[in-house]
Amino acid sequence: MTDTILDKEQKLVQLLEQTFKKLSGKVVRQRRVTVSVEKELVPSVLSYAKSQLGYIHLSHMSCVDWPENNNFEIIYILWSPADKVQLFIKTLINRENPEIDNVDMIWKHANTYEREIREMYGIQFNGLVGAQEFILEDWDDMPPMRRDFDTVEYVDDNYTFRPGREDAGDVREEIVKRSGEDIPDFAKKYSRD
Amino acid sequence: MREKATTLYLGPQHPGITGNMMIKLKVEGDTVVKAETHVGYLHRGFEKLMERRNWLQSFTIVCRICVPEPDPNELNYSRAVEEIEGRTVPERAEWIRTMMMELSRLASYLLWFGGQNGSSGLYTMPQWSVGDRDYILDLFEELTGGRVYHMYIWPGGVRRDLPDGFADKVLQTMDYLEKRLKKYDDLMFANTIFQKRAQGIGWIDPKKAVEWGVVGPPLRAAGIKSDVRIDDPYLIYDKLDFEVPTQTGSDVWSRALIRRFEFEQSISMVRQCIEKMPKGEVYNKIPNPMKWTIPAGDAYVKAESARGEFGYYVVSDGSDKPRRVHVKGPAYVHGVTLLERILVGANIADVSFIMNSLGTCPPEIER
Repeated sequence: MTDTILDKEQKLVQLLEQTFKKLSGKVVRQRRVTVSVEKELVPSVLSYAKSQLGYIHLSHMSCVDWPENNNFEIIYILWSPADKVQLFIKTLINRENPEIDNVDMIWKHANTYEREIREMYGIQFNGLVGAQEFILEDWDDMPPMRRDFDTVEYVDDNYTFRPGREDAGDVREEIVKRSGEDIPDFAKKYSRD
Repeated sequence: MREKATTLYLGPQHPGITGNMMIKLKVEGDTVVKAETHVGYLHRGFEKLMERRNWLQSFTIVCRICVPEPDPNELNYSRAVEEIEGRTVPERAEWIRTMMMELSRLASYLLWFGGQNGSSGLYTMPQWSVGDRDYILDLFEELTGGRVYHMYIWPGGVRRDLPDGFADKVLQTMDYLEKRLKKYDDLMFANTIFQKRAQGIGWIDPKKAVEWGVVGPPLRAAGIKSDVRIDDPYLIYDKLDFEVPTQTGSDVWSRALIRRFEFEQSISMVRQCIEKMPKGEVYNKIPNPMKWTIPAGDAYVKAESARGEFGYYVVSDGSDKPRRVHVKGPAYVHGVTLLERILVGANIADVSFIMNSLGTCPPEIER
């Protein structure tokens, strides 16, 4: 890929790096640019990208758990309808006391993502308004999307298994055995043998 | 005298949308003054399931995220894996994938025609369009073995080549649907009741639409020419001849027209795919799936589904299982913040009508 094709992507990285000193960026491929910032800078970078650079559409916002590095990665994915470039803004936050500033004043729909990330990963968004439950109701266990949440253990602790049939026999015979009632006459003719 | 506000719980069952979602409305008389979306009826934890399954096992799950249109899920998952791994796809497979995407768009629009009219009481339309959708499902069944969930577009290409005589059947179905579209025009678009119900209802501010996260047909109905197939080209859409229709009304009526015009475009695209499809391989074989690892990296890929931009954010840590697969369906924004905004001031009878016009699909909000 020649340099001219990636011209606008490289200019974007330069511009962001000049504006924010503690920011490092790179061009992933055509139409994909990724930058890493510290979490304190996130609201400033986002509002700068939206108001000055034309990245007016928040395509997606995601969270990845990295317990081995003891942090969460928050990713904001922006789109510029004019430049047609997808800009990834990534930041790492500590896993011990996870909190980051809320950005739903920049994009209203960030609120939905933040509410979901809050209950799935247990990350606090400072200043999040209307932070009612989103999907989970009355959940007081560990946030379920964390890597160390053991789904099998949770199921074992909270649910009982109903014993299934031991062989591939006629299901009605099993019902008769368990309930002690006879198969009605009309149903007998459908018997397997 | 000001009327007393009452709370009305609408849903979780709705005519015309797939899945369950509840809207808590505050109404004065029959006017909505506040709307709040409540989800949580369908959460199945797909994203968590995928973290415990290897890359190929995860592929079998993704299509189940969206009932009316599973193919964008398969395509996005496969493209994300291919992008991180650097795997190429044979050209014929790209053409078949495009044809699948357009067929799935047609099937989805037919279901939507039914849903939109079901919510306004025009019950003939669902009977017709869901019946016609079955002809497309027949094609899917012959090609993939599954009517709704296909598991056909997988990393490296597609599962198998077109069977003998399949191309002819596709062309015949397209001819039939084109003929039927005239009937739909008579029944739906020339219908004064539908016009009166749809015009001026559910208005989205075109100046704010992009910022609010609106995508797909509702955005194009607001006069903004935005389509992933053109803005961020994928597959072989750059080799096809098609138009992106726009409208300026930004109401339910404009959104219905957009879908009607795109229906024609999709028929034409399917024909072009059949006509121009090159011969060759359809699958670049992946290694033993049980030992298949993907290098560390991440990718965000998006496709234009019938409801708008459908995105997948996939992260690999270099192991044989995905670290994170995060699905972003258009309804995640349309069904929650956008719906809550535009329902204010609407009549109770129009609530499900507006909800359908945005193509709300609760399974992709909760996943």
